[in-house]
Amino acid sequence: MDVLYGLALRFTGGDDAAAQDLVQDTLLKAYRAWDNFESGTNCRAWLTTILRNTFINDLRRRQSRPAPVGYDEVAERSVYPQLHEEDGEGGFFDRIVDEEVIRAIEELPEDFRVPLVLADLEGIGYKEISELLEIPVGTVKSRLFRARRRLQQRLYRYAVEMGYIR
Amino acid sequence: MTHDEQPPGHAVSPEGGGTADELSCEEAAQNVFEYLDGELPPGYSEKVHRHVEMCQRCYPYFNFERAFLDYVHDRGMRPARSAKLEERLKRLLDDLEGREP
Repeated sequence: MDVLYGLALRFTGGDDAAAQDLVQDTLLKAYRAWDNFESGTNCRAWLTTILRNTFINDLRRRQSRPAPVGYDEVAERSVYPQLHEEDGEGGFFDRIVDEEVIRAIEELPEDFRVPLVLADLEGIGYKEISELLEIPVGTVKSRLFRARRRLQQRLYRYAVEMGYIR
Repeated sequence: MTHDEQPPGHAVSPEGGGTADELSCEEAAQNVFEYLDGELPPGYSEKVHRHVEMCQRCYPYFNFERAFLDYVHDRGMRPARSAKLEERLKRLLDDLEGREP
């Protein structure tokens, strides 16, 4: 259940009440559909799929007319040029506490956060994300690209503030 | 995709020229995430791979981006615990079991 709740928090941007509702809805659906679960298969994967689909169905209802996504070119560059001489291997990431990474993911705008959670946390491919979110594959690519760049910039600023890098 | 998406200070192949079949650093870097995600067509992915393996500037850049993606995956999936949620689900379960004939 802790895995489901963690994933629900990432999807909902850290909204505790919404994450709890999502986990409860997921378990309730699983309870009602328990006869459909094939014993011997991966129960965690089954529950994760229900949670993901529940969240995405709700997202579609809320976003029948999505707002245009803001574009901030500066925030969407790789931090590698700033770091390649000092820390080209990306070792500074390991010094950033887990809470900061979680917070950075949860603070991404929803349009960027959801593709990132699906791709980078759940390992889902572009085509399947495109089908789940009902957006073109090209949009998946660009949102994922921007989400990763924003996340990287955010973690870089944190690392500078904390003195991990100069 | 912007011009910034290339490793610093490099826009030509490491051999200092290259044929039409080879990629420039800029082209390779523009596809960094699709390459790392395994989303490029096989033939093109192989071209990027060959370029990165031979390029002393792209190789560390691609490693850096790979480290970033691995890091997000490993840290981002951290489970969370909520006593409030556990209590809520216990009540729900009791309620469901109470309703069963």
